[in-house]
Amino acid sequence: MTESQESNSGATPLLEARGLTKDYGDTRALDSLDLAIAPGEVYCLLGPNGAGKTTTINLFLGFVAPSAGQALVSGLDVSTHDRESKRRLAYIPEQVMLYRNLSGIENLEYFAALGGQGSLGRKRLIEILGEAGLDAEAAGRRVSTYSKGMRQKVGIAIAIAKEADALLLDEPTSGLDPTASSEFSALVERLRNRGVAVLMATHDLFRAKDTGTRVGIMHYGRLVTELSTAEIGHADLERIYLEHVSDNGGRR
Amino acid sequence: MIHHIVRKEFTDMIRDGRFRWSAILVGSLLLVSLAHGWVQARKASQELTAAQATAREHWETQGEKNPHSAAHYGVYAFKPRLALSFVDEGVDPFTGTSVWLEAHRQNDFLLRPAQDATAAQRIGALTAAQVLQHLVPLLIILLTFGAFAGERERGTLRQLLATGVGWRELALGKALGASGALALLLVPAAVTGAAALVVANPGPTASPLARGAVLAGAYLAYFVVFLALSLAVSARARSSRTALVFLLAVWVVNGLVAPRVAVDLSKRVYATPSAFEFARTVEREMADGVEDIAPPDRDESTERLLAEYGVERVEDLPINAVGVYLQESEEFSNRIFDRNYGALWDAFRRQGILQEALAAAAPSIAVRTLSMGLAGTDVEQHRHFAETAETYRRDLMRQMNGDMTENSLTGDFTYAVGAELWESVPPLEYEAPPLGWVLGNRILSLAVLGAWLAGAVLLASAQVRRAEVA
Repeated sequence: MTESQESNSGATPLLEARGLTKDYGDTRALDSLDLAIAPGEVYCLLGPNGAGKTTTINLFLGFVAPSAGQALVSGLDVSTHDRESKRRLAYIPEQVMLYRNLSGIENLEYFAALGGQGSLGRKRLIEILGEAGLDAEAAGRRVSTYSKGMRQKVGIAIAIAKEADALLLDEPTSGLDPTASSEFSALVERLRNRGVAVLMATHDLFRAKDTGTRVGIMHYGRLVTELSTAEIGHADLERIYLEHVSDNGGRR
Repeated sequence: MIHHIVRKEFTDMIRDGRFRWSAILVGSLLLVSLAHGWVQARKASQELTAAQATAREHWETQGEKNPHSAAHYGVYAFKPRLALSFVDEGVDPFTGTSVWLEAHRQNDFLLRPAQDATAAQRIGALTAAQVLQHLVPLLIILLTFGAFAGERERGTLRQLLATGVGWRELALGKALGASGALALLLVPAAVTGAAALVVANPGPTASPLARGAVLAGAYLAYFVVFLALSLAVSARARSSRTALVFLLAVWVVNGLVAPRVAVDLSKRVYATPSAFEFARTVEREMADGVEDIAPPDRDESTERLLAEYGVERVEDLPINAVGVYLQESEEFSNRIFDRNYGALWDAFRRQGILQEALAAAAPSIAVRTLSMGLAGTDVEQHRHFAETAETYRRDLMRQMNGDMTENSLTGDFTYAVGAELWESVPPLEYEAPPLGWVLGNRILSLAVLGAWLAGAVLLASAQVRRAEVA
């Protein structure tokens, strides 16, 4: 357990799911999820496609309404406090999509303004982009020239600029090369150290063990096990994962 | 927050090459059509002034003759162009611009450019009204069909909504941003149009700028209808391609199908005779009379005059009995004309009302009707001029026949007058109907366009509220 985690283990969770359930017709996409992520904690949701990871993130974002239960952000029920809860959240999807005709600075300025930060000055915007790993020259260029890794950095910059309590990451390192992936993890680490609660859905067991403080394995919409990354090695995680996501394991 | 969305949408659009090229194309067409319309209108106005002067000179210098012969000699009346006709030439190319005013006949209008033009020329004659009614809505669709559907496909919509921005703010910001981009081509066009109005001959109306302002308002409302419809469809469509296909179908129905159907349907419901049938009916009724309108009897007319003046011979009458009979013939033919032209105009009016009502299916019909009305080139204002010209013709005939009646005796075939009488006839001074008259005639179109505006905005609001993130 890290120092930050220890210091925050008793704090009010910034992200919390209480019996969170989502049905799409007859299909249960998420089944009574209970989850609490404290400040400075990075919770990695693992699981195969269709396990319910993205549904969980969508429920925290208020993009879909729960069939039962609650999703809370900083204690606010997302269903009844849509805007206030989103103000406290930052979100980075698998593919950070930006406006191709705008520069990195302009994209950041736009998303930051919509996120409630008003008009940040150009200097501050360049600083934030620099903090996310994008140099000033690249920041001034149109996004149409960016690689995926550069777009992800702008996504991180948007999250930094928002100064959110919690960060939702949906497969953020998918498709990134190892260097970019490692840089991304370092940025998440920095946010975590600032007390941000992070929920990251990922297929990347290595990154989950490396970046996360806790790991939850989901299968068929259910959280089948929860582990502290401090207590397991990479090999253990892989073994446990495979045990739980086999059909027998998942339906136990 | 909205100003950030507006600014981003505006910047994003004007940096988009597709917008730049289509805006340059539509803007150029608009400016060229305005300029072309203005030059044509100015040229036509100058020709009309010259023709009017020539016609008046011919009338005044026709030499000495019997006044009734002068009535047959006749005079041309020219329909003046209103200042805004350079924006929308309306039905003018089809109705004609001049009419020959002569004794016993209510003639059709002459000089119909559409009659002389080839099909290719008609297609090539793109007016500012056509650009505003068809191409600007197309540009609006191209600008906004992906407003939500495109963002949804690209994945930016999730990120946007994750910031906490509301759907309504987003929709309003996008609408204003697109409006700003459109303003880049519409404002210069409007300024050019206003400048053209100021320097143009205002024509026979006292309120060209007021008409222009209402015209601009009507087109603005029409554009907002398309903007709102486009946003509504984009908010609900599963893909931007679906949104585009649907909106293009709406555009085709609105601009091409519905107006054609409205015209054909109104003609079918309120049928009008062909020009040949109409002329034959008038000719037959002029010869035989109809129901309670009997042709005057010359003997009866003479007997009545003899009794009125207490004399036994026409030679003893103090007036010319032939002049009285000729005027009675005029009054008879006027009643036949009123009966037939009245029915024809009424049929046109009913056709027009039905077409205006059918604008409920396509706002282009409403804005087209308003546009022609405000430009002074619709059927009603053609009728207004035709009736003014006909009244002038009747006054002229009355004056000619009256002079013959009062100043000559029956059987005096040598009576002749000259320039003094011709000059005493005032030229036709046409005063176009005021703005209130035009709007009163177009109340249905105003109501339907207003309903479209309210409906489209409400629809957009409802669809945006129900839109899904993915």
